[in-house]
Amino acid sequence: MIARRLRRAGRFLRGEVLVLPSRVLVLLFCVGLLALPLFTRDPYVLRVVILSSLYAIFAASWDLVSGYSGQVSLGQALYFGAGAYGSALLHHHLGWSPALTIPAGALLATGVGAVAGIPCLRLRGSYLSLATLAFPLILTGALFALPELSGGELGLSGLQPLVRSRLGFYYVAVIVMLVAVFTMWLIGDSNTGLLLHAIREDEVAARASGIDTPRYRLLAFALAGLFGGVAGGLYAHFVRVAGPSTLEVALSFQAVIWGVFGGVATIYGPVVGVFLLYPLTELLALVPWLGEHRLLIFALVVLLVLRFMPQGVVHWARDRMERECLRCKSRSVATRRACRVCGADLR
Amino acid sequence: MLHSILVTGLVNGAIYALLALGFSLVFGVARIVNIAYAGLYMLASYAVYLLLQVVGLPAPLAVALAVAAVVVLGLAVYRVVIEPVREHESAVLISTIALTLVFQELVLAAFGGHFLGNPVWVDGITSVLGVTVTHQQVLSLLVSAAALGLLWLLLTRTRLGVAIRATANDREVANLMGMNVRRVEMWSAALSAALAGLAGAVVAPLTVIDPLMWQGPLVNILAIVVVGGLGSLRGSLLAAFLIGYVEAATVFLLPGGSYLKGAVALTIMVAVLLLRPEGLFGVAFEEER
Amino acid sequence: MPSRHTAASALALAAALLFTPAVPLAQAKAEPVKIGIVGPMAFIQGEDAWNGASLAADELNAAGGIQVGAAKRPIQLVKVDTNEIMNIADAANALERAITRDKIDFAVGGFRSEAALAMQEVAVDNKKIFVVTGASLDKMSDNVVKDYERYKYWFRILPPRSSDLVKASYAMLGAITAQVKAELGVPVVKVAVLAEKAAWTEGFVKAAQANIPKMGMELVGVFQPSATATDVGPDLTAIQATGAHLVFTAVSGPMGVALGRQAGEMRLPAIVFGINVEAQKEGFWKATGGKANHVSTLNFYADVESTPKTMPFVEAFRKKFGRLPTYTAASYDAVKILATAATAAGSLDGDKVVPFLEKTDTVGTSSRITFDKGHDVTFGPGNTVPLGVQWQDGALVAFFPNGWQGITFKGVKPFVVPPQMKKK
Repeated sequence: MIARRLRRAGRFLRGEVLVLPSRVLVLLFCVGLLALPLFTRDPYVLRVVILSSLYAIFAASWDLVSGYSGQVSLGQALYFGAGAYGSALLHHHLGWSPALTIPAGALLATGVGAVAGIPCLRLRGSYLSLATLAFPLILTGALFALPELSGGELGLSGLQPLVRSRLGFYYVAVIVMLVAVFTMWLIGDSNTGLLLHAIREDEVAARASGIDTPRYRLLAFALAGLFGGVAGGLYAHFVRVAGPSTLEVALSFQAVIWGVFGGVATIYGPVVGVFLLYPLTELLALVPWLGEHRLLIFALVVLLVLRFMPQGVVHWARDRMERECLRCKSRSVATRRACRVCGADLR
Repeated sequence: MLHSILVTGLVNGAIYALLALGFSLVFGVARIVNIAYAGLYMLASYAVYLLLQVVGLPAPLAVALAVAAVVVLGLAVYRVVIEPVREHESAVLISTIALTLVFQELVLAAFGGHFLGNPVWVDGITSVLGVTVTHQQVLSLLVSAAALGLLWLLLTRTRLGVAIRATANDREVANLMGMNVRRVEMWSAALSAALAGLAGAVVAPLTVIDPLMWQGPLVNILAIVVVGGLGSLRGSLLAAFLIGYVEAATVFLLPGGSYLKGAVALTIMVAVLLLRPEGLFGVAFEEER
Repeated sequence: MPSRHTAASALALAAALLFTPAVPLAQAKAEPVKIGIVGPMAFIQGEDAWNGASLAADELNAAGGIQVGAAKRPIQLVKVDTNEIMNIADAANALERAITRDKIDFAVGGFRSEAALAMQEVAVDNKKIFVVTGASLDKMSDNVVKDYERYKYWFRILPPRSSDLVKASYAMLGAITAQVKAELGVPVVKVAVLAEKAAWTEGFVKAAQANIPKMGMELVGVFQPSATATDVGPDLTAIQATGAHLVFTAVSGPMGVALGRQAGEMRLPAIVFGINVEAQKEGFWKATGGKANHVSTLNFYADVESTPKTMPFVEAFRKKFGRLPTYTAASYDAVKILATAATAAGSLDGDKVVPFLEKTDTVGTSSRITFDKGHDVTFGPGNTVPLGVQWQDGALVAFFPNGWQGITFKGVKPFVVPPQMKKK
């Protein structure tokens, strides 16, 4: 029984995963992350990976609303901040444990996402982007007006960590990240994702085909809120401060930069973006002269990469490694001459 | 109180108008959200600082040189950074954000994070309706009005202006009519950079120069152009004064809440969008394919 | 430049090691004591934290380093650029990197409140002593009182906690209003409060609302622009309309420059006094285009003898860096007291050094340094007494304390009431 399952898993691995370099890389990435503590438990390294994981959830949530449904959000920090503050407020004022407040904060962020999505339903393109930019700033204003509740510009500090040990938090962050990203990928690959694609390409046509487009657009916002909120809540209980920096324009821009750098409408693209760029800036900080100019280097790298791969890193890399079959749309290694599924000529 | 609001709102609005129009122009013509516009504004302020206080040029020359430098840079940005990726809307957005960060970091490396200031060009105060207005504010107001007037003339009375407006109205048709759309876009990029540079040069002696000075105006500009209707110059002008007055009113009516003025302006923006999704004077772009 | 400076001292050290074989081998090999200087290094706050500490380190190293147990060990400063003005998460990352990678023994610095709080957590998590020179938040020392075992590694030597700063500014306010009453013959002084919207000014605003009427003055308005505002023109216009004689400020950001410049340009007929961090710097005059005459603020360093050590320090600092130190340069004192405590403890271990650091009682560059139970520098006459300084024709002149509680620092001059107030 078990042997048969194992054999089937092995066959799946050989037949579906090992045949494509991109899937092999995904596998290596997951295994690598889970096995990393076997090689180093340096708290600083773990810290960088933890933060990368949280930002990866956040960047992928941006992709869900912006990449898939084409509603380019410039205010993604709204969900991160709503999750962070929501969780921190419940924890700080009601004394709930972080294990409860993080999901609660994420639910709150889901609600915030849906509410913010309503005015956006009437907007398109650049208007929508610029309107979303405003939401976190308005929320910041509201929080500043209620310093007793929100702690003003200092935010709420001294929060209890979700898990005391660094290693424990590492596994929580990495596993939550992998699960969240996989879930988002499944959503993107499902019918819903397909409908969101359709809305992005041509909303009028989608509506004419009988799709309730407002419902799906709202759904995209709410889902982005949910996942962005999870990331924000975990962040608050990792750095133990939920402050206005979780709502900053700079953070919203970061999400867009990671997303576009990695490649939009893929979910894994933004994850790649985060895991390349975030450790890079931290790595730069270790070198004395470069460290002082790490933001400059970061910006230059982004500029150059976009100049030569405007579709983002993953699209560029995948196009080098794999080829899509014109007949059946499945992908094969670039070295193959015939499609691995239907055998059509690939050249 | 009413007088104070009237006068302060006017001064605010004129400066916002100068800032927002250049941004609006490029969006109207080329459909590009160019965040680096705010970066050019910052660079112009620093250029004036450098030419005035380090090199020691007289003020008008310093401003002229600073604006010229920013125009050249603006064109270079358009050619080197924006054009190659302009087919990908989000890549344009990110590239211009990244470029602005590059500007910010270069300025930070060259000048440090100190808060700097330029000396005023004209000293003195006047009382308007019982409200103290400095001569520098009056000068800024005049420069801003003159620049906007010239822009208006250019757009309505010259062949180039007609071409710019035609392209803004309908790119494809303008192209079919034999206009060199690309050249029109370059011209509007240059004009827009000139406006950003002028704003940076004129506003610089009013407040503080620092490497983060582009962020505050950027949010204001975005609110203004969205309220006015993206790409509509008339709308931007009107919205600039609307936001200017709203901010002034917030400070005067709610003194303990003057920190809220940004949030109030943005709330107005969202409210306008709810009522008129394409802004006050905007064109509904969704029909565009 | 600080980096060039470290390179130079490293070269000097190398040269010394090469050419003086007489140095006992054990001493030459002694591992340095690493002190992380934590701050936004592209900004003056970080720069001065570094500058002050490097002066102290140079002095201690010239004397052969510090005695820890049996060995005499040199001091090595580690520059920890927190980028905290731009990004909070960066700050906590940077400190943790310094502790786990660079293996610093102590940390000194920390400026922006939200970042300093996050860094306080990182430092105490790692049981590393963190001496703050920069952030004035009450909450940080409240943490020490509330949960001593966890937060005992945290100390602050300058500025005093913000509630103490408020007390000091009221003492100065009293002195100024007495002078206004006498010179202008105003029976009731009208005060407008201009405080940036921030946690550290909350106590300031509340105290103003409670105390100003009690002190026989009239509170005519409270104005709270955003902490990142760069334009206070509308606020000042509104303040002028209230007929205020005095604008009582609590400002730490760029608004401080705008305030000095715009009040001067519009010839605001009022005294501008309070806490204005930007006005504490020597670059303030130029930044305001020379418009900030008579603007005044609370401060910690000026050309007056706060203690016998002030003038030698201010002069050495000026000679090396070409300007007056700002308060984050109290890192000089921080390095000195850390060295003393480490020698006394015979160890660099946080738990062992804390009790000796708590017993600190020494004369620093701006005050006598002892710690209270929240590990804050003790405030009040005989301990820390801030200065009141006023810009007078391009020079930063100290006017307080001048007879307050019997204290007069050598070098203080009288406060000047702006002439535009007298015309009325």
